[in-house]
Amino acid sequence: MAYSEKVIDHYENPRNVGKMDAQDPDVGTGMVGAPACGDVMRLQIKVNESGVIEDAKFKTYGCGSAIASSSLATEWMKGKTLDEAETIKNTQLAEELALPPVKIHCSVLAEDAIKAAVRDYKQKKGLV
Amino acid sequence: MGTPCHFALFDLQPSFRLDLDQLATRYRELARTVHPDRFADADAREQRSALEKSASLNEAYQTLKNAPQRARYLLALSGPELPLEVTVHDPDFLMQQIQLREELEDLQDAADIDGVLRFKRSLKQAQDELNESFAVCWDDAARREEAERLMRRMQFLDKLSHEVRQLEERLDD
Repeated sequence: MAYSEKVIDHYENPRNVGKMDAQDPDVGTGMVGAPACGDVMRLQIKVNESGVIEDAKFKTYGCGSAIASSSLATEWMKGKTLDEAETIKNTQLAEELALPPVKIHCSVLAEDAIKAAVRDYKQKKGLV
Repeated sequence: MGTPCHFALFDLQPSFRLDLDQLATRYRELARTVHPDRFADADAREQRSALEKSASLNEAYQTLKNAPQRARYLLALSGPELPLEVTVHDPDFLMQQIQLREELEDLQDAADIDGVLRFKRSLKQAQDELNESFAVCWDDAARREEAERLMRRMQFLDKLSHEVRQLEERLDD
């Protein structure tokens, strides 16, 4: 299966790969996995006092589409408020990366990771 | 048209604990009886029937011989079928999976064949433990949620063991 140019670009030059201190009260961590393909995704956000995502990092073990989806997700999250970040939809990620139908679940995984990271942050701050 | 249960094809009761050697022997015996070559002179209807039996036998065997697939099949027999593509939220387990994959990357970078062997052994042990935990809870309706979680974990470890095998092949070259 041929990957789109955008997927290859994110796969070869992933943005924001890395790790933040999960214990930091300003960091939200989302850990999600797709058992059928064994993909594991960790997505982290650092949020400032005005509720804006200052920085985002990810680490994904999985196929090119899963890596590209999480890489793009971190790019889009930076500079957004938590509420804005939560509106990012898998369909937008899939469209931007031109993912074929069999790879749509990779973008779903990235959307779920975003939501998990935001939820983790909100739980830490007692916002939910 | 109902299809017989995968276990029934092999004259077995649904169970997670399975003698895989016995299953393989039984599979070869049955596969011979429905092999299309035996029906070369039969009429079209019989040929088609043999082909269908051969296909369902293969599917059953592939499903039953693999632990996570067998586990998923068993859960589907006693409840709704579980989707293949789901997102799992199992943070501690997933964290461990990331660490294991990082470890495997390091072993690859160092071309550490002994390290890969050790990794393989401890992975096998983790798989055996997981299988054992699943075996004692899958048919207890009250523990279905736990059984599902264990089955998903098996899927991750199965995938990881594929990656270990691929790495071994690369290091052997």
